[in-house]
Amino acid sequence: MDNKGSNGREEILELANNLRWEIGVDFHDKLMESIYENAATIAARSVSTPDKEAVFSFDKKLDKILTSPVFGFPIMFVVLAVVFWLTVVGANYPSSFLASILIDEFHPVLKSFSLSIGFPGWLSGLLIDGGYLSMAWVIAVMLPPMAIFFPLFTLLEDFGYLPRVAFNMDNLYKKAGAHGKQALTMAMGFGCNAAGVIASRVIDSPRERLIAIITNNFSLCNGRWPTQILIATIFIGGAVPAYLAGIVSAAAVVGIAVLGVVLSLIVSWTLSKTVLKGEASAFSLELPPYRPPRILQTLYTSLIDRTLIVLWRAVVFAFPAGLVIWLVANVNIGGESIASVFINWSDPFAILLGLNGVILLAYIIAIPANEIVIPTILMLTVLVTGLTDFGHGTGVMFEANSTEVTAEILKAGGWTLLTGVNLMIFSLLHNPCSTTLLTIFKETRSVKWTVVSALLPLALGFTVTFFVAQIWRLIAGF
Amino acid sequence: MIDPLTSLIIGFSVILLLVIIFYPGKGLVARFKKNKANTYRVLIEDSLKHLYNCEYNGINCTLNSIAGSLSISADEAAKVAAKLEELGLVVSNENGLSLTPDGRAYALKVIRIHRLWEKYLADETSIGEEDWHHSAEEIEHQMTLAEADKLAAQIGNPVFDPHGDPIPTAKGDLPGKKGKSLDSMKIGEFAKIIHIEDEPHYIYSQLVAEGLYPGMQVQLIESTKERIKFLANGEEVVLAPLFAKNITVAPIKDERKIEGTFKKLSSLKPGEKGKVLGISRRCRGQQRRRLMDLGVVPGTEIEVELESIGGDPIAYRIKGATIALRKSQAENIYIESEE
Repeated sequence: MDNKGSNGREEILELANNLRWEIGVDFHDKLMESIYENAATIAARSVSTPDKEAVFSFDKKLDKILTSPVFGFPIMFVVLAVVFWLTVVGANYPSSFLASILIDEFHPVLKSFSLSIGFPGWLSGLLIDGGYLSMAWVIAVMLPPMAIFFPLFTLLEDFGYLPRVAFNMDNLYKKAGAHGKQALTMAMGFGCNAAGVIASRVIDSPRERLIAIITNNFSLCNGRWPTQILIATIFIGGAVPAYLAGIVSAAAVVGIAVLGVVLSLIVSWTLSKTVLKGEASAFSLELPPYRPPRILQTLYTSLIDRTLIVLWRAVVFAFPAGLVIWLVANVNIGGESIASVFINWSDPFAILLGLNGVILLAYIIAIPANEIVIPTILMLTVLVTGLTDFGHGTGVMFEANSTEVTAEILKAGGWTLLTGVNLMIFSLLHNPCSTTLLTIFKETRSVKWTVVSALLPLALGFTVTFFVAQIWRLIAGF
Repeated sequence: MIDPLTSLIIGFSVILLLVIIFYPGKGLVARFKKNKANTYRVLIEDSLKHLYNCEYNGINCTLNSIAGSLSISADEAAKVAAKLEELGLVVSNENGLSLTPDGRAYALKVIRIHRLWEKYLADETSIGEEDWHHSAEEIEHQMTLAEADKLAAQIGNPVFDPHGDPIPTAKGDLPGKKGKSLDSMKIGEFAKIIHIEDEPHYIYSQLVAEGLYPGMQVQLIESTKERIKFLANGEEVVLAPLFAKNITVAPIKDERKIEGTFKKLSSLKPGEKGKVLGISRRCRGQQRRRLMDLGVVPGTEIEVELESIGGDPIAYRIKGATIALRKSQAENIYIESEE
């Protein structure tokens, strides 16, 4: 390019720059406004809309009921309760069916097959008792509830009800520095935290979205409900007269879930006032018109998008974790398994928290899914106590045939009422499972926020269990 | 096992210690950061900025004014000035101190970073306006020019900071001062706020607390030695003349002059309608773009459709869609009623 040309360009650029001082700050807005104005004029001339008043007035009537001060919240609680009830009850049958096939039937078959083709014992133990069993367990307990919960939830979303819930809940969430739609991602988290984190995409404001992602773990997920119910039945139900046992243990589980919701609001508030203070925030919430849900499409997308993606991530982690679980129980250092070494080493710290080393180790190695925490705890307890009447061998996870047997094993492991209570608290307040962590990373693309999401609940869990344990012991006097 | 009472005490002490160390703004970590910022370089750059401001506003600068502006002793100010002269950034003459071309370029660089950062905070983050200046005061001493250019490109090469001050270009160009101070307006005169001075902080925070911001329409009602009374977007504000001096206004050119109180979207009752006049300048960045994307632009009709259970947010009918907005947002949308 010749000299004159480049000079000319620079002159123009400089003139443009100087003119920008003159046109002032409103220039972008003015431009946008004029585009809208033009678009509106053109549209008014050439677009005709059919009369939709009838549909619209139906929407209006329905909205009046669903957001009314009298019926709004009761309707919301009933709808959500029905969804959860359907999930819990409906998932039982397919879950036990899958478990009987994958664990009771297929596992022994695989085992004898591997022996018949000459696998050494350690290899079949590692791959089949470790990797396969853990994977099978995750599929059996995770798949059915997700396959019921997600389509139901998506149907409600498709119908247009969920945005109204967010609309009603926004006032509460605004006070916590969060977005009304966090009510939805939280509800989704009750099904599965990883899906709750994915669902946070509906929140389009960056700060509120991060808050929803980080606090989703405080929703007691599907994988943790069985743990809560089991422990509450054994320890809390067992501590009160028999005729009260059912109601008291149920109240304890609900109490933990409510504690989770309250903590999620408190943590949201704290985050929005401290580390996330500077993140951009832009609120808006569209209330789409009601429309009949597209059932087949909903089934398809919720199965593919939500259920299978989450399940796949869980399975990918479950296999290697199963290997690790088997290895820590079977590899010996100086005559003791790695598991015992770790449990003995961490016991003093764990007891300070009102827990024990078995629980800590179980939460570390059962990171792929909360569902396998209890089988891992049982296996480890049998391992360290040297009980011989239970389980299927070293490093093989199992679930006891009845609550009584589970209680017997845990009490043999030195569990008290305090251990039970603190396990329930710790089950609510600990790092999210690896599937959720991976999902958080994929959604935020940030190591920093993934680490915060992992450590924040863990720190809270340690703190709460520590103080509960100390105060408990102080009052109990030992 | 450790005695529970002992461990309880240890536990509480650990938490107390963590609070003392990490408490936002007042904790040891925050204090340490603040102290570290108070270095020699900061003194040099702040005095250059002060000298530039004097030059821009046509005032003479002295050692005393430097000492006052930087809150340091006269002795220290003299030391800083000597250092500045040694570096060839400043010359002293009969009128006090003035900048050399190098000194002016240096000052403009610092000012560019400061104003860019304020613009960035205003548009891309949720940090409150009372914190912008403070944060920019720290960043201006840490950022390099290259980083500043990158930031500028990222936010669309802005030419004004959120207070209405022009941002120097990368080459150091800056337009001359425009407009006049609010207290020099005539009674009944209409004008637009184009700049609010952000220093000293106590005046600025008072102006922010009054809800004033660049882009507001003002009309002077009363002007005496004790007080200046004016309408800002239709709402009455009373300021001491000293405070009013920190507000710069310019004539309204291509904008509708609005008499009386500005009506806000938040004032509409269910079923009522209004036509958008504009979005308040206080609503910035992403939030502003979002509203405009939804169709909140002058001329759009908005109808109140539905109140949520607590009465906030409220759903509005905008361009055929039902959009819920929070009260704090609806307050930033000016409308005129229909009917």
